Amino acid sequence: MLGNPQAAADVNKLNRKVRRFEFSWSWFSIPSLLVVWMITATQFPAYILPQVWHVAQEGYEWVVSGDIWPHLQGSFLEIIGGFGLAIVLSLICGFVAGFNKGFREYIVPLNGLFMAIPPIAWAPLMLIVFGIGYTTIILVVLISAVNPMILTIMEGVLQITSQEVRAARVLGAKRWQLFVHVYLPASLPFVTAALRIGFSQAWRALVAAEMIGAAAGVGWMVQVGGEIGNARQVLLGIVMIGGFSYLFERLLFRPIEKKYEVWRLA
Amino acid sequence: MPSESERIGGENLRIDDLWFSYGGKLSIYEGLNLDVRPGEFLGVIGPSGCGKTTLLNLLAGFYEPEEGAVTLRGQPIKPEDPHLGYVFQQPTLFPWLSAIENVEFGLRMQGMGEAERRERAQHYFNLVGLMGFEDYLIVRLSGGMQQRVNLARALAMEPTLLLMDEPFGALDAITRETMNDELLRIWDTLGQTVLFITHDIDEAIYLSDRICVLSRPPGGIFRMLDSELPRPRHGPTTRTGERFWGYKKSLINDIAEVTAQRPTSEEEIALLKRRKKIEESD
Repeated sequence: MLGNPQAAADVNKLNRKVRRFEFSWSWFSIPSLLVVWMITATQFPAYILPQVWHVAQEGYEWVVSGDIWPHLQGSFLEIIGGFGLAIVLSLICGFVAGFNKGFREYIVPLNGLFMAIPPIAWAPLMLIVFGIGYTTIILVVLISAVNPMILTIMEGVLQITSQEVRAARVLGAKRWQLFVHVYLPASLPFVTAALRIGFSQAWRALVAAEMIGAAAGVGWMVQVGGEIGNARQVLLGIVMIGGFSYLFERLLFRPIEKKYEVWRLA
Repeated sequence: MPSESERIGGENLRIDDLWFSYGGKLSIYEGLNLDVRPGEFLGVIGPSGCGKTTLLNLLAGFYEPEEGAVTLRGQPIKPEDPHLGYVFQQPTLFPWLSAIENVEFGLRMQGMGEAERRERAQHYFNLVGLMGFEDYLIVRLSGGMQQRVNLARALAMEPTLLLMDEPFGALDAITRETMNDELLRIWDTLGQTVLFITHDIDEAIYLSDRICVLSRPPGGIFRMLDSELPRPRHGPTTRTGERFWGYKKSLINDIAEVTAQRPTSEEEIALLKRRKKIEESD
């Protein structure tokens, strides 16, 4: 019966992903927010709560004058540097902690300690040591992201059952083959979760740190906009902060997740 | 009739004077001897806690015997031995690979070329009756089909000894009977030595040439039963025959006797708990 090609074809049909144009309530999420904003803004003078189009215009001016680029570039380099370092470090520490009980016992209390301290609390110290600039921000970003990432990746390695590993061993997998063909793919969902968690932590810390100790960046834009009473600039900064996050989500995490969501969630 | 070219054949598995204990405290086997003939189908039964899992771990080389040896055609067994195939109780398939890629896994580890390994995998994939399901992800397959993939994955390595750890224990009774017949058909074609562990008496009788009843540790083998059920076996005829019932009756009595050998002292119970902990942490 299982060899029956018709049965196979039927299940194949079910198996295939249905791609249809389907209505979704998510279409209303952002438009409804904009509507609330616009209605609220009618109740305030424009210099206190500007309208959507005022902020759009502000953005246009920043782009045309070219003033926006140093800020975008600054934040971009800092997140790449800080989050990038966090990825490398957490992959190494996470996997080692997953494999080695001693290292796990050693590092977990440290992770807990660092996670108990809001990362922005490190900013003043970094400022004293490294001054205003990339190094300070990158270190704050690193501290905030790396700890939850290590714990998540470690959990990912620990949840791999010894049965899966044994099955691979009796199929002749050697040490490095076990790592490449079993441990890595089996922990991929957790690695992606770690990336997401790490990025959201890193991005928050980055914006906060820029508001304290930077000469450029989207956080700086919001901070300075507030100081000079320019509500348009503040809101533009906020929109950019959200947009940046959204781009990372769409361009980085979704594609990775797509790779395993079928076997994990089906 | 099975064609000679498909036949893999079986090899002699020997357990000589095997001693094993957990941490030197709880003795499981004290001088276990077992000689599995080439191409024989040996069923192993026993109530839970009698050391079935320990035995398989020893046979696959995951545990080292303290004394004595487990040898396959005269060589000590290691888990990576290509002559050894292992079908696990829960399907331990890799969910990130498709069904056929799972079957190819071992061949890929050996470094076999893509076309060659696909061809070999396809052969065993068809043999277990999964044709048409090659590209399915594991989560899309039913429990019975997953165990077919599991079996094909072990067979693709063309092992001469197949260790099966309650492979159909999680399946419903009807699927299990189908799988039993499929297994016998495949075994008849390939001719491997099979060591089949189960807690199901009917299954053990239906499949095996000999049935080994394990006793409570550190006893080793309680009884070895030679089956004279004719082959090829056929569900409705074999399962309802006089002899089948005779074997079943005697095995039920054996199991009852083994089960009655309860741990007596508090010390023994403490040791049993300790062993459970070691097995789980492993």
